Amino acid sequence: MGDKIIERIVENVLQGRRNKDDEGIEEDYIGEPGVAELVQEALDNGIDTNTILLEGLSKGMEQVGEKYETGEYFIPDMLTAAEAVEAGMTVMEPHLASEGGSGGKGKVIMATVEKDLHDIGKNLVSIMLKGAGFNVVDMGIDVPAARIVEAAEEENADLIGLSALLNTTMTNMEDVVKELDKKGLHDKVKVIIGGAPTSDDFAAEIGADGYGKDAFAAIRIAENLIQAGGTK
Amino acid sequence: MTGTSIKGFILIYAGGTGTMEKLTYEGGGYNVLTEKEISQIHETSIKVLENVGFEINYPPALEIFEKNGATVDHQRHRIYVTRDLVSRCVKQAPAEFVFYGRKEGNDITIGGKKVNFGTGGLALYVLDLERNKRPGEIHDVAELARLADRLEYLNFFINPLYPHDINIETVDINTRYQSLLNTGKPIMGGIFSKQGLEDSIKIASIIAGGLEKLQRRPFIGFISSITSPLKISAEQAEYIMEVARYGLPLATSTAPAAGATAPITLAGTLVQQNAEALMGIMLSQLVNPGAPVLYSAVPITMDMRTMSFLMGSIESGLMNAAITQMAHYYRLPCYLTVGTTDSKLPDAQAAHESATTGMLAALAGGNFIHEAFGMLDGALTVSYAQYIIDNDIVGSCLRTLRGIEINQDSLAYDIIAKVGPGGNYLSEEHTIKYMRTESFAPQASDRQPYQRWLDAGSKDSWKRAEELAAQFLQEPSDPIIPPEIDARVREEFPELVTVEKGDGLHWETESG
Repeated sequence: MGDKIIERIVENVLQGRRNKDDEGIEEDYIGEPGVAELVQEALDNGIDTNTILLEGLSKGMEQVGEKYETGEYFIPDMLTAAEAVEAGMTVMEPHLASEGGSGGKGKVIMATVEKDLHDIGKNLVSIMLKGAGFNVVDMGIDVPAARIVEAAEEENADLIGLSALLNTTMTNMEDVVKELDKKGLHDKVKVIIGGAPTSDDFAAEIGADGYGKDAFAAIRIAENLIQAGGTK
Repeated sequence: MTGTSIKGFILIYAGGTGTMEKLTYEGGGYNVLTEKEISQIHETSIKVLENVGFEINYPPALEIFEKNGATVDHQRHRIYVTRDLVSRCVKQAPAEFVFYGRKEGNDITIGGKKVNFGTGGLALYVLDLERNKRPGEIHDVAELARLADRLEYLNFFINPLYPHDINIETVDINTRYQSLLNTGKPIMGGIFSKQGLEDSIKIASIIAGGLEKLQRRPFIGFISSITSPLKISAEQAEYIMEVARYGLPLATSTAPAAGATAPITLAGTLVQQNAEALMGIMLSQLVNPGAPVLYSAVPITMDMRTMSFLMGSIESGLMNAAITQMAHYYRLPCYLTVGTTDSKLPDAQAAHESATTGMLAALAGGNFIHEAFGMLDGALTVSYAQYIIDNDIVGSCLRTLRGIEINQDSLAYDIIAKVGPGGNYLSEEHTIKYMRTESFAPQASDRQPYQRWLDAGSKDSWKRAEELAAQFLQEPSDPIIPPEIDARVREEFPELVTVEKGDGLHWETESG
């Protein structure tokens, strides 16, 4: 019985279905329970949160990642899958809290840097990080360096993820790194950057700790940085 | 000097060298949309402008729309316009205008079905003549402008590069001034600050001999941007209004990406693109009726697997052709974007993407076709060699527009009769008369017999293009701005840098 529910969670993550009203990638799903309902059902049946998370939600996302790598899935498929995982996490949250869970793999502050109004890439990485089990605080677009660092301090964050689409604004990423250095926080809070004009070289040049060429790379780097830092 | 008139194109060639004065070309033969489809796109765009509205977070823009009868939601900075206001603004905008050069034969007319190709983009990197990819610098802006001045089929210059060695506060005037110094062709460029815009106009006024003279014969124009979907930021709205007030040529560029910042369907992207282009036209015309403004479009697709913007996709070419028809429908001069490739090198992909999208825009009759030279990697890198290759590609597109001349002499009955069965035409006068104009001669292509190609070093077109670029950049050129004017400009703007000719010529030997 339990296995059956977990299998259906994986299937519905792959279909990107948050709840019963979602269509899914293939047809004939409307009305069927989605990830939120299935997670609730699993909890009601006494399946522990760890199993739901690892065998259900995370396994679903892993399969999504594989389908993306082979070219079967496109970015929007991935996005809806991550949103479905997020819907499942929302249902699980009270249970995780009562179990004294840490609230995920770590806390990430996400922002598009000052003077840049582009948010698609940043939103995508935010959703994917959430789907991967990170706790994400999204500060939006056009955020000054000082505010980003303040938020990282207040939220006791492990990571800052910065996005820029314009070659004229990508230079503002460096201000965030400088601000962290100035406050002596850079050892504790690592910086990952991304966006069309950025690169590994640029990340190195401005003293950022990583560059994510896509959302999956961002997740990998975030996991590595947090493991290396040993903060959680 | 002899002159021949062919199908309305005036060919003037000196002696037997075949060098020609600037020709004008018209397109419009290719229609991707039917008249009914044009009207369906128009009606849907009007519905968007009336019911969804658009956002401008800039009170003076909201006020001017409100004063002209638009419904304005000040709290949400949202503007809803009626079809009447759209059509009033469209009618007020000029159907065509002359964009002036500062050398003889460099004026271009933009509008109708006249086709002009030029540069554009804002690359971060340069692929130089030693095949190094490196951050762009101000000397590259100067060299690329000089190369642009030299290329036959390139009709206007938009600085294609963000120079990393220039402080952002002075990027506007430094890039603009290096453009003005190095090419006599009409110049456009983006805007980085209000001050930069004002200073650029001041510099151009000094060169023109006063602001009024500049306004009468504008040789610089500006590019502002609209954010897809359906939004103009406060600073861009201010730029649009300011350039319109000056009455200088203006593009209100908007780049809806199908699937990301516009609907995934090409039709849906065209609807939104059309609405956004009309927003730019309206704002400019409400500020200054009759001010020259381009119906501006950068319709692109998105690779839904990688989220890369695709500048060189064939669908982008199709949408540019469709948007040209929309501009013709409104009788507005249009600003298009083709010829940029997503390839990282001047390779086969670069050539076919540049050529197919360029040809579609030319056949459609696009007026001011920008980014058509040198742009690689989705416009993140500019290549000197690709400038040369694209000159060949644009040359082929324009040759296509010239079509096939049919008249008594070209049908050649007399000469067929004279040569008769089994003869040949090689030494006939008729052959000599037409052989330099009938066929287009690309410069970087190889057309030699195999052995000669082998003996000449078995070069590919990339290599030949590099050699040509190097050769063109070494040619002596007369100063386009007289020294006394240059001194006056530099006195007023001491932050202007000096670029020594040859600063960027990395292919020179160290001793040279």
